[in-house]
Amino acid sequence: MLAAVRLQVEDFSVDQELAALRAGSMRMGGIATFIGCARDFSVQDFSTQKFSEECEVSEISFDAYDSMAVRAMNQLRKEAISQYQLLDARIVHRVGRVAAGEQIVLIATGAEHRAPALQACQWLIDELKQRVPIWKKEITPQGEVWVSPHP
Amino acid sequence: MIRVLFFGPVAAQVNEHQMQLEFQVGLCLQDVVAQLQLRYPKAFELVCFTAVNAVQTHDMRLKLADHDEIAFMAKFSGG
Repeated sequence: MLAAVRLQVEDFSVDQELAALRAGSMRMGGIATFIGCARDFSVQDFSTQKFSEECEVSEISFDAYDSMAVRAMNQLRKEAISQYQLLDARIVHRVGRVAAGEQIVLIATGAEHRAPALQACQWLIDELKQRVPIWKKEITPQGEVWVSPHP
Repeated sequence: MIRVLFFGPVAAQVNEHQMQLEFQVGLCLQDVVAQLQLRYPKAFELVCFTAVNAVQTHDMRLKLADHDEIAFMAKFSGG
């Protein structure tokens, strides 16, 4: 079975991840998912790196400090399970090049009731952006630019 | 030897993903930072986090051991 926390180059199957999440417990009454996808546009100016007009993005390239990132993601999963009384949680993030429109990240949380599953899912993606050493670069016809963090 | 890692925008500024520095007894994190900051000032303008052996640290007086791994990282932008 695939690990509950992973970095991988290839795309992931949401069905497969949800099946793995559900297989852990029959007490699961609520499952929440977040799927981050690669947008085909950017609003960053490539000379100043400030926000300007929209431009086309063909791909996003992800770099990660793999060992630290997986450790941080495992720690987030552990904290989420404890804080929100989850029955299980899964976090999968892609690295390397992701084409516009493809999936980047999956967060899936399962709890006895919907509220903790939904809250934990939101908390996990917010914390992942702050605490997991991954960086993204947008690739456009005008050039490539590392993305500054923003919501 | 000390292994130094750079990622994302910091690696782009340094133009390398990793390098090796000679280890000397008594070497501390600040010594490595000072040495590299002189060589790569633009890269170090982006550095927000430092990790030793994949654990984030703010302790610049941290004594390093031979074969330690140091990472210099910009603000994260995953997800």
